[in-house]
Amino acid sequence: MKPAYCLIAAAFFFALVGADPCRAQTLTGSVASADEGAMEGVLVSAQNEGSPITVTVVSDGAGRFRFPDGRLSPGHYALRIRATGYELDGPQSAELGGATADIAIKLRKASDLAAQLTNTEWFTSMPGTAEQKRPLIECMSCHTFARIVRSTYDADAFVPVLKRMAQYANNTTQARVQWRVAARDVNDESVRKLAAYLATVNLSRGTTWNYELQTLPRPKGRATHVVVTEYDLPRQTIAPHDVRTDRDGKVWYSDFVENFLGELDPKTGALKEYPIPVSKAAFPAGTLDLEADGNGNLWLALMFQTGLARFDMTSKTFKIFPLPGDLNDDAMQQSMVMPGSANADGEVWTNDVARQSIMRLDLKTGAYERIDPFAFLAKGHTHAPYGMAADPDNNLYFMDFGGEAIGRVDAKTLAPTIFPTPTEKSRPRRTTLDDQGRLWFTEFAANKLALFDIKAEAFREWDVPTPHTYPYDVFRDRNGELWSGGMASDHVLRFNPQSGMSVEYLLPRPTNIRRVFVDNSTHPVTFWAGNNHGAEILRLEPLD
Amino acid sequence: MAFNRRWLSVASIAVAAVVMMAAAPPVRSGGVNFGDDSDSNDGPSYFGFVRDGDGSPVGGARVTAAPQAGGSLVTRSNSMGIYKIPGFAKEIDPKTVGISCAKDGYTQSNVLRRGQADAKDPVEVDCTLQKQ
Repeated sequence: MKPAYCLIAAAFFFALVGADPCRAQTLTGSVASADEGAMEGVLVSAQNEGSPITVTVVSDGAGRFRFPDGRLSPGHYALRIRATGYELDGPQSAELGGATADIAIKLRKASDLAAQLTNTEWFTSMPGTAEQKRPLIECMSCHTFARIVRSTYDADAFVPVLKRMAQYANNTTQARVQWRVAARDVNDESVRKLAAYLATVNLSRGTTWNYELQTLPRPKGRATHVVVTEYDLPRQTIAPHDVRTDRDGKVWYSDFVENFLGELDPKTGALKEYPIPVSKAAFPAGTLDLEADGNGNLWLALMFQTGLARFDMTSKTFKIFPLPGDLNDDAMQQSMVMPGSANADGEVWTNDVARQSIMRLDLKTGAYERIDPFAFLAKGHTHAPYGMAADPDNNLYFMDFGGEAIGRVDAKTLAPTIFPTPTEKSRPRRTTLDDQGRLWFTEFAANKLALFDIKAEAFREWDVPTPHTYPYDVFRDRNGELWSGGMASDHVLRFNPQSGMSVEYLLPRPTNIRRVFVDNSTHPVTFWAGNNHGAEILRLEPLD
Repeated sequence: MAFNRRWLSVASIAVAAVVMMAAAPPVRSGGVNFGDDSDSNDGPSYFGFVRDGDGSPVGGARVTAAPQAGGSLVTRSNSMGIYKIPGFAKEIDPKTVGISCAKDGYTQSNVLRRGQADAKDPVEVDCTLQKQ
């Protein structure tokens, strides 16, 4: 409708029905509780009946919220909220017709505060030393801390539980438990030490916890200026791990526990799944790293199915690069792939998780070669080549997730160089290389974001504002801001390394984030990630 | 000047003691094995001082340790000119590990390798960088 006509029509409509035809219908309202009155920082989510899409906004300083115009079509919407310490008293739903609906949401005190705590909040609440708590950062890979703190095992009973869990594949979720075929050695003393600690923080000694439950503050200010869209995936077993958009705006993800590559249309929520050929039926299914090569095709690391897969974006077909039989034993696992600079020399990088080494695929011959970048280092230390990036000459940079270093493998000589991070026990996890030759990466165990300048061979590190966040990945957007998420806090971190200013956006549901991605083609930029344990794709749009 | 030398010597011993403790291989999380790493197979660690021609510490110098057998490890000296490097594989003879230092605006003029009383002791290698 043109502005002049619109103004005339608006005058009539206002006079007749009190509605503004120039603005699409939307949902607005207020949030209040008996204890606090108007409440800032309450997440209000609306899901149209039968739709896989849920939209969430956050109440402002006056307790008001407004869904973006035109985002919600007419229908019957289920409502939910997130505000730690509270639950929704009503209304539970809202009808949205042709006009804007305004509702007053009332909250009441939560009957079970513990059920609302994030892993970060449990970490903060539990007594114990950093050394005692450190092993728990592994638990988040498969489940939340609710399973631990609500258990009633004493130390002895915990031991077989921990030993059993060590035999699960790392691509295990509660919706799909997968066993390793090759058994893993477990250190008895370490297990007993951890079991003894866990028995002090669970319900083995009473019906409630003997420590105060600590919660993070609700969002306020800039952290409320956001719209979050969740796309439900059709099976609870789908575990989106790495997520990225293509040039057409479609969203692609790797499924951590099933052999599919997923393609989501964010306009409709429609999903296509491309089955990946199963090569080892008795082994855990699923893929991890999803990367694009220089031709725009996607590559997947096939985990326990082993080898690599290339997905042709035009023909929508896979080409599998299998490992030869002598390498393809029961423990073999590829979690990472780096095809980004394969056009330089026809080589694609990957890893061999079981042997803590790097592998390289020759695209012409299909042959793999193995490089042990830690051969000259002391034995007996854990190393694990993980997140990867390649410079334009296809020299490899990798994160030593088991240790505390970044590694480089020269593309021509295969000579390794190890760069220890300034912080010990940092466990660098995922990384991206920007166009200025800077590796942005997370120091998972050190709770830091970090930068490694590959020309200057120099590090910078920044503490993540909230302790026990354990960032999994970081992505630098076109404005120079860093975006990060992880498995602990249910927050997305936006951090400006120039100013040190940060915003932490709370997410509507418990969210286990792995790889993060920022679409720089939108204004403002758009953040994407998967909820690995929640069978959903997540879009976060900052409003500033 | 004699005072300065004595002070430097005492300071070196004190700092060396701290570095020897700090340079011990760190205990790292053992992942899902819930375990700690073992340092029983480590060779000796390395540490040293990077100074300029006047004996002043040079911070931010790039220190490379490269065993002849292959591979290299790169770290930086801190604001006191101290660097530390964890031990390499036990089979690597420390005498075959080359240490070199570099920084923009400087030229390496000397590398001094001090003797070990015991093969398990940390190896001290000091660098002198001359301003260009």
